[in-house]
Amino acid sequence: MIRLSYATAIMLFCIGLYTLMIKRNLFKTVIGLSLMEAAVLFLIITSGYIPGGNPPLLPLEGTSVNPLPQAFTLTAIVIGASDIALALAFIIKLHRRYGTVDLDKIRGLKG
Amino acid sequence: MSTVLYGFFCVFLILTALVASEIEDILSSVISLSINGVLLAILFVILQAPDVALTQAVINSGLVTSLFLVAYSQTEKQDLRRGDDKK
Amino acid sequence: MKHPQAYLKAGAAFICLVLGWWLWQGAEAVQQASSLAGPAAHYVSNAARETGAANIVAAILFDYRGYDTLGEATVIFTTVTGIAMLFARSKYRKSSTGLSFIVKRGLSFIVPFIIMYAAGIVLTGHLTPGGGFQGGAVFATSTILFCIVYGSNFEASRIHPKAKEFTESAGAVLFTVTGLVGLVLGAGFLANASAGFPTGEAGHFLSGGTIPILNIAVGLKVGAGLSTIFYSMVKFLEVKVVAPVEGDET
Repeated sequence: MIRLSYATAIMLFCIGLYTLMIKRNLFKTVIGLSLMEAAVLFLIITSGYIPGGNPPLLPLEGTSVNPLPQAFTLTAIVIGASDIALALAFIIKLHRRYGTVDLDKIRGLKG
Repeated sequence: MSTVLYGFFCVFLILTALVASEIEDILSSVISLSINGVLLAILFVILQAPDVALTQAVINSGLVTSLFLVAYSQTEKQDLRRGDDKK
Repeated sequence: MKHPQAYLKAGAAFICLVLGWWLWQGAEAVQQASSLAGPAAHYVSNAARETGAANIVAAILFDYRGYDTLGEATVIFTTVTGIAMLFARSKYRKSSTGLSFIVKRGLSFIVPFIIMYAAGIVLTGHLTPGGGFQGGAVFATSTILFCIVYGSNFEASRIHPKAKEFTESAGAVLFTVTGLVGLVLGAGFLANASAGFPTGEAGHFLSGGTIPILNIAVGLKVGAGLSTIFYSMVKFLEVKVVAPVEGDET
């Protein structure tokens, strides 16, 4: 189960990276960024899982999973949402300036 | 938690990611990204992290999707509407 | 221009495959731990005694690693400032009239419960999964619903943007002042039990020392910030009007 999670996270990261590099639409760039962030979050949480563990809440019965990666992931989720919001605001401003969201056309028009 | 069910969730995760990255229509890609977020929240619950699952479900599937749709309505939807207007 | 595009796609796919193989080699070599070790074991076994919170993740976020949470709140603040600055000069401001009558009446029944749900998540953050970030995001979702169903003019008249700005700054100031109390008493910035805050007993509502106060501060900040982000981006829904509705500078 843990190996399966690692493989899924790595595949998700590669799909996101491919989308980020190849697609011409600016929205696809932001979607690729979001997929990469989701892959990293999945990887972090899986690394803190202990088989047979319980959620880190008191009263505790048995062992609990590692609570440190969960604290990192909370921070990472909120920061990821913030930078996607900023990227979308930039897309709106670019559209207002150039009239299109297509990266090839924006690179072709100079000023 | 049987491995087959867990494997089903992981395969579904990758399928929604592929749909979000390949389809040309932006609206379908954004909805597929939102489904990706919900599936990730389910996987977090299975991995015994309820705090993180709550945050992921609310922020990534609720807030970020609505911001995507606002950006879409301000940019591409106007292009489509202008293109279809035969005035 | 089809040929260079195909070469580009093949090259990018090759890079992604090589990266994936490399990462898999690294992931395969990691040995999964079978029991807690290091700081995590200390946090799990001593969180109830030292901080008084039942939610160990909240204790880590707001007591053991509280400084990182202050940095994260600053990141949200910077993002809100940047987005509000990008959309500051809106020459054509026109808002929609919202959806139909049934949706408006239906939503007016639900909104008090959503706000109560958000307040509940924030206040019991030290007992059950929840806390400031989750509750703030649910509150921002309710203001987004307001914008969509009633129109952004109505939402701005109900909760003025200046009030949101004030709430966000109040959250940041509350967080910093709570940290400075520890500094003044000689125990260190953002100190909890060693600065004299009553920790109480884990599982009771009044426990945890500074953790409920910091939860409220972060909830105010995140809620007001995300709401401002959405409102700035949706301020004018139809740009192509015949004449400017009002030329304003705000």
